[in-house]
Amino acid sequence: MGIGSFKQNIINKIQNNLDIGSIRKILKFISNPLVFYIYGLTFKSVSDKYLNKYSLTYMREVYCGNYPIAYGSLFIPYELLNSLNIRLVLPEVMGGFTAGLGVTGKTLADAANNWYSSDLCTFHRSASGAANMDLFPKPDFIICSNLACDAACKSFEDMAKKFKIEDRFYLIDIPYENDNAAIRYLSGQLENIFFDISEKLKIKPDTDNLKKAVSSSNKLRKHLLEVNKTRERLLDYPQYYNGLSYILPLFGLAGTEKAARLYGIMEKELKIKLKNQLPSRKMKKLLWMHLKPYYRNDIFNILEENNCRVVCEEITDVFWKEMDVQKPFDSLADKMLSNPLRGNGQNRINAILSMAEKYEIDAAILFSHWGCRQSNGLARILKDSLADKKIPLLILDGDCVDKNNCPSGQLKTRIEGFAEIINSL
Amino acid sequence: MYSCGIDIGSVSTEAVILKDSDIDEKNFEICSYIIGRTGSDIKTASENIFNDALSMAKIKKEDIRNIIATGYGRKNVSLADRNITEITCHASGVLSVFPEVKTIIDIGGQDSKVIKIDRLTKKPIDFLMNDKCAAGTGRFLEVMAKALDIELEAFGKIFADTNERIEITSTCTVFAESEIVSLIGHGVDKRKIVKGLLYSVADRIISMVSRLGIEEPVALTGGVAKNSGIVGAIEEKLDTRLLIPFEPQITGALGAAALALKIAKSE
Repeated sequence: MGIGSFKQNIINKIQNNLDIGSIRKILKFISNPLVFYIYGLTFKSVSDKYLNKYSLTYMREVYCGNYPIAYGSLFIPYELLNSLNIRLVLPEVMGGFTAGLGVTGKTLADAANNWYSSDLCTFHRSASGAANMDLFPKPDFIICSNLACDAACKSFEDMAKKFKIEDRFYLIDIPYENDNAAIRYLSGQLENIFFDISEKLKIKPDTDNLKKAVSSSNKLRKHLLEVNKTRERLLDYPQYYNGLSYILPLFGLAGTEKAARLYGIMEKELKIKLKNQLPSRKMKKLLWMHLKPYYRNDIFNILEENNCRVVCEEITDVFWKEMDVQKPFDSLADKMLSNPLRGNGQNRINAILSMAEKYEIDAAILFSHWGCRQSNGLARILKDSLADKKIPLLILDGDCVDKNNCPSGQLKTRIEGFAEIINSL
Repeated sequence: MYSCGIDIGSVSTEAVILKDSDIDEKNFEICSYIIGRTGSDIKTASENIFNDALSMAKIKKEDIRNIIATGYGRKNVSLADRNITEITCHASGVLSVFPEVKTIIDIGGQDSKVIKIDRLTKKPIDFLMNDKCAAGTGRFLEVMAKALDIELEAFGKIFADTNERIEITSTCTVFAESEIVSLIGHGVDKRKIVKGLLYSVADRIISMVSRLGIEEPVALTGGVAKNSGIVGAIEEKLDTRLLIPFEPQITGALGAAALALKIAKSE
C-alpha cells in the first residue's frame, strides 16, 4: 500500500465516521507539538504558520467544553464576546472547516433533508447541516445581524429552535442610514446584548475588559492598514498572505491580543519582503470581491501563472475609523455602521471605486458565491460602475463551500480568458 | 512559415494549418483544416488530427513553426507549444474572417459563449460562458431531434416552412425531452415543436448576449451555426443578419493558428 492510498484510507475513515468525538481526536492529534512541527514545515510564511497555530488552538478551545460557545454571523463586533471569553463558531468557519474535512456533501445533504432550499447560500446550509449532525459543540447562544446577509437571520433562528435556546437568540437590527440616531439605536442594542449574555451565562460583565478588547482591535486595525498598504507595493504575488484566509482572526478574533499579534507578524513579514524586493515582472493588480472557495483550489495560482495578483480584497479593507476606547458600545456601533455592505448598494459601489483608486487596480473579480443575493444582486451595477472607470470586472460564478458547484476546468477557462483580456489591454 | 491551431472541444476536435502569405490583408492562407471526434483520449485525438492536417497540407511536422492548442482540452495537448483559451482564439478566428465584428456568439456541442469585441482595439473585452447546462447547446438540439425522430439537418427547412410554434417551457434538457414526448403523445404537429425548440435555444443565447450588450455586426460560430433553423431563430430574435464563417466549426482552431503565426513572426 503506497503513502497515497494509506492517506486516502485515513481520509475515508474520517469522513465515514465523522462525529464530534473524532473531530476532537483529529484536533488533538494535529496539536501534538511534533505533528504540528512537521505540519508547520509546509507553511510558506511565518504569518501562515501563526494563522494555523492560532486557528488550531482556537478550534481546540471551541471543542474542549471549558468555554461558553456562541454561533454567530460574520459582521458582528466580536470584541463584545471576546471580552467575555466566549468561543465562537462562524458559519463561514464552519463551512470552511467541513469543506477542509471533505464532508460538505454530507452536511449539505443533511440540510436538504431538513427542507433547506438548494438555492440558499452553502455557508449557511452546510453550517445548518453540520449543526444538525452535531459536528460542532452545542451553542450557549446564537447571535446574528441583518447586516448584508439575510440567510444568517433565518438559518440561525432555525438552529436556535433545534438547540431549544430561542430565548438566547440575538438578532441585531442594523439601521439603513448611518447617523447619530443610528449609532444610539445600535449602541443601545449592543449594550443590552452584552449585559444580557453576561447575565444568562453568569459571566461578570467587565467593561474594562471590553475597553481592552476595543484597544486590541485598534491595534489590529493599525497593523491591517500597514499590511494592506505594503501588499499593494509588492511586485510579486505575496502567496503566503491571502487576506481571505484570515477571516477567523479578522472577524471572529477581533478584540483579542492574539489577532492583533498575528497582524503585527504579517506587517513585519511583508515589510521585510518589500525591503528586499528585487525588480521583477510587473503583474496586473486585481481587486477581489466577496469571499473565496475554502476547499482546495487553484484560483490564486492560476491568477499568478497568468500575470495577475490580488492586491486587495473588499472584505479586508479597513472601512472603520479608530475606535474610542472610552466609548466601546458607541464605537462598535459606528464600526458596524461603517461597513459598506450596510444600507444602499451605492455604499458598496463607492467603497469599491474608492479601493480601485487607492490601490490603482487594473481589474476586479467578483466571486459570485451561489445563493449570496446581497452580493450577486449588485453585480450588474458593479460591472457598469467599474466599466465607467475602464476597469474590467469578471463575475466568477462559483461556490465557496461546495466544490461540486464550482468545476475547476470551467473556472480555469474563465480566469485565463479574463487574464488574457486584461494582459492585452 | 506554417502554424497550426488545434481546438479540443468536448465533442469535436479541429485542426487548422496556416501558411504566412502577403496575398491579402489576413497575411495567411489556409493550407488544411480537419474536423474529428474528441472521444475519451485527448492526447490521441490531438495527435491524430494533427497528423491528418499535416497530410492534407502535404507538409511535415518540422515545417510547423508554432502550434497553439485551445478548447477545454487545451492543457492536455502535449504537441502544442502553448495553449490559449477559446475566448481569445475564437475572437482571433472570427476577426481574421470578419474584421468588423463586434459581438461573437459561439454555440458548441456542450457549451455556448458570447464574446464582445472592442470597437477601437479589435480585441475581446468581455465574455460570458454557459458550460453548466446543456440547454442552448448542440447537445440539446441532438437530444430533441432524437426524441422527435427527425434528422437535425431537417430543422432548418422546418423552421423556414412553419409559421406556428409550440412554446417549450422547460429549459432543462431532460425535462424538455419529457415535455416533447408528452406533446407528441397529445398529437401536436412535430414541426410546431421544432420551431418552438429553436426559439427556446435562441432565447437562451439572447439572454447571454443581452447581458453583455449587443453590438452589431454579430457573428455566429460553432457547429450549431451550420443549422439554418437556429440561425433563423437567432436572427429573428436579434433582428439582425448573422455573419457566419465559411466553416463555423473550425473558428477556434483557425484563431489559434492565426495567433500561432503572429507569435512565430514576432519571435
